[in-house]
Amino acid sequence: MTPMRAMVIDDSRAMRMILKRIVTKLSFEAVEAGDGKEALDLLADMTEVPELALIDWNMPNMNGLEFVVKVRADPRLREMTLVMVTTESEQSQIVRALAAGAHEYVIKPFTEGAMIEKLALLGLVPTGANS
Amino acid sequence: MSVEVEVDENDLAEMVEQVWESYLDPEGVSPLIPTYDENQPSEVHSSVSITGSWSGHIVYASSRAAAQRAAAAFLAMEQDEVSEEDISDTLGELANIVGGNVKAMLPPGSHLSLPQVSLAPETSARFPNTQRISGVYGLWEGEPVSISMWQSSTDTKEEGA
Repeated sequence: MTPMRAMVIDDSRAMRMILKRIVTKLSFEAVEAGDGKEALDLLADMTEVPELALIDWNMPNMNGLEFVVKVRADPRLREMTLVMVTTESEQSQIVRALAAGAHEYVIKPFTEGAMIEKLALLGLVPTGANS
Repeated sequence: MSVEVEVDENDLAEMVEQVWESYLDPEGVSPLIPTYDENQPSEVHSSVSITGSWSGHIVYASSRAAAQRAAAAFLAMEQDEVSEEDISDTLGELANIVGGNVKAMLPPGSHLSLPQVSLAPETSARFPNTQRISGVYGLWEGEPVSISMWQSSTDTKEEGA
């Protein structure tokens, strides 16, 4: 069976490593990008679209919200589940992200358990995966 | 023009506790022990700037040993495997996380900068025209760590950190 794939988009290498560790634990194959623009470039070259993207908000070149808008405008990418993972915790920002097409919103700092719980709610945690 | 900020030591302490619980001490065995010593030494620091309804900086500072331990915990590595880049990335992300949570407590419309990291003592980079308004100071396994808030005392916008 082909493993699910997750794209981890954050300008912080440290945060990418944390998120990569979590999704790998859940049996995803992880692909990393340092900003929204790099993520879109990578997606353009992929034949199979990842099932999940974990997206920071504040990034250089293209921020997370702009990335969500671009993804939602592209029919080829419409099946991707988009989760914002960010320090932006103002209610208005959360509403903006969800209105733009993000499925879930995780505020930093988060525990591994909290992140897995969110992904489970989205049906993205395989049965028996470590939580 | 800056509004009166309502983020106090208790708010900062709560954020710091969340950071420890999430990344630096998920087992809950090694908390930051408060010292209340705002003059404790540091060897490295990181900061983010907030501009808008409130203008100022959030600074994370620690000894090098504490920074190395933080990077090891954050990245799930052994301490002797940690590189300068790992330390720098981790310090930047810690300032970003605390800064983002501070920003959320301010009136809407503020902007958070990308983090700046300096592998040098906090005192080498005190921001001009600012005043320390709040902070959490403590020892983590015997090593100094602090998180402080500095408010710009003028209406001047960000001058670069």
